[in-house]
Amino acid sequence: MPKRQLDLIFPEEMIKEPVIWEMSKKFDVIFNIRRARVTETTGELVIELDGEDGTLDKAVEWLRKKGIKVKPVTHDVLE
Amino acid sequence: MKKISGLKCRECGRKYQAKAIYVCEFCFGPLEVDYNYEQIKAHISQEKIKTGPNSEWRYWDLLPVETKSVISLGEGFTPLLPARNLGKLLGLEKLYIKNDAVNPTYSFKDRVVSVAITRAVELGFDTIACASTGNLACSVAAYGAYAGIKAFVFIPIDLEKGKIIGTGIYQPNLIGVEGNYDQVNRLCSEIADSFPWAFVNINIRPYYAEGSKTLGFEVAEQLGWKAPDHVVIPLASGCLMTKIYKGLKEFNMLGLIGKVRTKFSGAQPEGCSPIVTAYKENSEIVKPIKPNTIAKSLAIGNPADGYYAWKTMKETGGFAETVNDEEIIEGIKLLAETEGIFTETAGGVTVGVLKKLAQTGRIKKDELTVAFITGNGLKTQEAVSEAVSRPKKIAPTLKAFTEEFPWIKR
Ligand SMILES: Cc1ncc(COP(=O)(O)O)c(C=O)c1O
Ligand SMILES: [Zn+2]
Repeated sequence: MPKRQLDLIFPEEMIKEPVIWEMSKKFDVIFNIRRARVTETTGELVIELDGEDGTLDKAVEWLRKKGIKVKPVTHDVLE
Repeated sequence: MKKISGLKCRECGRKYQAKAIYVCEFCFGPLEVDYNYEQIKAHISQEKIKTGPNSEWRYWDLLPVETKSVISLGEGFTPLLPARNLGKLLGLEKLYIKNDAVNPTYSFKDRVVSVAITRAVELGFDTIACASTGNLACSVAAYGAYAGIKAFVFIPIDLEKGKIIGTGIYQPNLIGVEGNYDQVNRLCSEIADSFPWAFVNINIRPYYAEGSKTLGFEVAEQLGWKAPDHVVIPLASGCLMTKIYKGLKEFNMLGLIGKVRTKFSGAQPEGCSPIVTAYKENSEIVKPIKPNTIAKSLAIGNPADGYYAWKTMKETGGFAETVNDEEIIEGIKLLAETEGIFTETAGGVTVGVLKKLAQTGRIKKDELTVAFITGNGLKTQEAVSEAVSRPKKIAPTLKAFTEEFPWIKR
């Protein structure tokens, strides 16, 4: 199954919600948290998602709709 | 023993072999080059550096390549100029301009690309590639041509003319992607996964980034082997600032300069200031934004090294500030009129922020301050075309001339 590495940035109002748990209930994806950082006003979570391509797309879309910024971990924005 | 000891994760510290990889498999943190400093320390010295080439390669000992046959167009070792006129205007007694607009393809990117391509060839690649908003494109195309290897350069289709022509002249495979810079990047990371190419800002990134350290080395050497008190640096991904800081710390660790007490201040355009925003909000998480600014070379809404630049500014007691589009143009003009240097929009951002920091007393008048000018104005002429002197049209006679300038005394 394809794996995707993602960097998620949470707005303040979402920090207290169990978003990742909810996502894994709604969609057939396996998550693995690799790194996290939380401050007063934001949270950042680096995770790996494992699932079918279409399901992964749906899960990411769902996260985005919740107001979470989702970017792939590629560090390709270096210029 | 080799001078490169390997790659090291900046987040969890895990070590990797010095190959074309860039992300930690465990925590997905970025990888950075690590050196055998003990070995380097044993034979590096001010004397040895002084007798080296007049390019960034005089610091070969601290750059991540093992070969001595480096691919160089003479990048680096650019002028550090005392900016007396601008200093006077801003009330700064010891202001210097590091003029990196005079590199082979007219931006500091030549430093990083020379290192990246030398390492890429050393690792066996025959194709170099990048995603770019302009300056990196010009540089990769030029160095690819010089090295005689294939070059693939991806840009957003609507780039400024100066940057498209300044890249196209070297005849790379130039791809104009119908989309914004973010989309170009996405595409490139997929391409990087599918083809065995050296993408300078993706899989070669840990090596590439090290090239920016040489700006720190040079300034220290040019100041007579000491670190400045305050620096002002433009931020896009935040890599440049992070590496200048690393460079100064390395020089200190190796005993080449004394203590580094330099304050690092960052400059971003108002229309793309995720790092400055994080600084002002005192949040170590840099939130991505959609850029909208004339400073296209700094238009990275999702900065890879944003956190590290943030940390550098906080750790050193520096500041972060923004300027709007008008202030950017004013900054470009100000530098040209006072110091005779024509910089691009990124330099306008730096000068604009320098001015703000000086006027608000955040840069002290007796601090030895260096402003980094990283790109050339000839590439972004659109930005100032409305704001420059126009020729006064006259007939080819003395009479016509004196009529046009009646106030000139003979
Ligand atoms: C002229 C110029 N200055 C500064 C920068 C910022 O560099 P960094 O992305 O390392 O922060 C860039 C990046 O493209 C640039 O082109
Ligand atoms: Zn790691």
